[in-house]
Amino acid sequence: MPLDTSTYSLALLRIDGRRWNDLRRLHAQIHTQEAADGSSYLEMGHTKVMCVVTGPAEPQAGQQKRGTAGGGGAGALGGGQKDAASIVVNVVVAGFSSVDRKRRGRNDRRIQEMEITIQKALAANLHTHLFPHSTITVSLHVLSQDGSLLAALINATTLALIDAGIPMTDYITACTAGSTSSYAAGDDSADPLLDLNTQEEQELPFLTVATLGDSDKVAALVCESRVQVSRLEGMLVVGVDGCRQVRRLLDGIVRAKGSKMIKEGVVQRSDLMAVSLEE
Amino acid sequence: MPREAEPSLSERTFTLQAISEGLRVLAKVSAEVTVPFPDRPFDGIFQITSELGPMVAPSYEVNRPTETEVLLARLLEKTIRRSGALDTESLCLVAGQKCWSVRVDLHVLSADGNLIDSACFAVVAALRHFRKPDTSIEGETLTVYTPAEREPVPLSWLHSPFCATFDFFGDEGDIVVVDTTWLEEQLRVASCTFSLNKHGEICQISKLGGRPIEATLVIQCAQMALDKVKEFTDLLDAKLAEDAKRRDKGGLMAELSAENDR
Repeated sequence: MPLDTSTYSLALLRIDGRRWNDLRRLHAQIHTQEAADGSSYLEMGHTKVMCVVTGPAEPQAGQQKRGTAGGGGAGALGGGQKDAASIVVNVVVAGFSSVDRKRRGRNDRRIQEMEITIQKALAANLHTHLFPHSTITVSLHVLSQDGSLLAALINATTLALIDAGIPMTDYITACTAGSTSSYAAGDDSADPLLDLNTQEEQELPFLTVATLGDSDKVAALVCESRVQVSRLEGMLVVGVDGCRQVRRLLDGIVRAKGSKMIKEGVVQRSDLMAVSLEE
Repeated sequence: MPREAEPSLSERTFTLQAISEGLRVLAKVSAEVTVPFPDRPFDGIFQITSELGPMVAPSYEVNRPTETEVLLARLLEKTIRRSGALDTESLCLVAGQKCWSVRVDLHVLSADGNLIDSACFAVVAALRHFRKPDTSIEGETLTVYTPAEREPVPLSWLHSPFCATFDFFGDEGDIVVVDTTWLEEQLRVASCTFSLNKHGEICQISKLGGRPIEATLVIQCAQMALDKVKEFTDLLDAKLAEDAKRRDKGGLMAELSAENDR
């Protein structure tokens, strides 16, 4: 196995030198695009994504149809096109984002599935009923892939939506969790791992979990690899805990940006603001 | 030169109708000899295609995949193809030159909720029942035998994954319902599909968005899914055994014998 199991069992260090519950470096910026309503740039290790949010805006002629197609089967959204904003998610994976250059068409089912996942997770979280007859368009661009792609996309979307000022219940944050043994039922010493990179994703079973705020509530859960059902609990616990860590990091980024904007005089400090900006 | 296998409808294709209340799914398996993909010379070709036409509901259009259809196709692919239920290497006849191409066509005739579970059941049942013509290789020559010459052989099947979908209701999403009807599906706040086999191996989990659900409830559902999958496995095994018994007339000797019931 390329995941060097011998060193892992000795020093409990992964190939990139992390411990089992270490996140990779998470770096993010919000309000990267001046022209957009909301935008963000997020790096989780070497996975780099950009997100641009447009809206809530009046639906364009062509968009209305796609929005309906996106929300058609969503039970949460129902036929609520009239009395709630519809959400359209587009994911574009750049050809140069992975090691081998591969052209992915618009009809790639894997990408369509990610779009639907993000769209449905947002539909339950955003207060779309405040914007009837409008569309919120989320465009995601994948610049570089190194594992945890869906998680990075969800985190970037959350940041961009906060930048756009769209009311939501809480942060939706996501991360991946894996298990060190691929398939050996008797291996009880298998450790769960947090935030996998591509190499680990190819070798080990893993799942992507997205949670709402600081709670234990799972907004999205995607697992595509074979794993014992008894392993699920450990992986989920580590994943949910990782989401909390991600939330703390994202919250720090939003607060830092907010205080910077006030210092620069871009926005006025409100008297209602209860939180202190000096840290 | 290998010749193209002659299809005989009764032996080579099997139609399974999963008829529950108002839900009919038809899965049809066919196999033919083709050239393998150049990047995987040792693997056969295995594909699952699904079609949701206007027959199911007027909102579905032909040649324009809806969200439901995309998710269904992805789910079947992850559950059956990616989990390695069918040993694709066994479909290889001559490396890089000849292989079997197994194709499952899934037709949904009418849907009344719980489409994913029944579609998955139908595909697994059809594949396990399917027999492909026997072949032999002597030197460079590949011979495909007709069912009369040699008994067709089953596919090399490794494990049978089944889907179990849970739908969540209520403001907190704490009411769990299995096997929902179409009407109930319109009211759900979230749904989660687990694919497992009877050995307790998860092949796939997808909770694609929807209202957030407590993590403990998800774990409980996974355990329930395992029980459901064991039930499905027993049901399918029993049905297949029954069918095998009905078809087994005692081999060639019975066929050649002149005795009859009169």
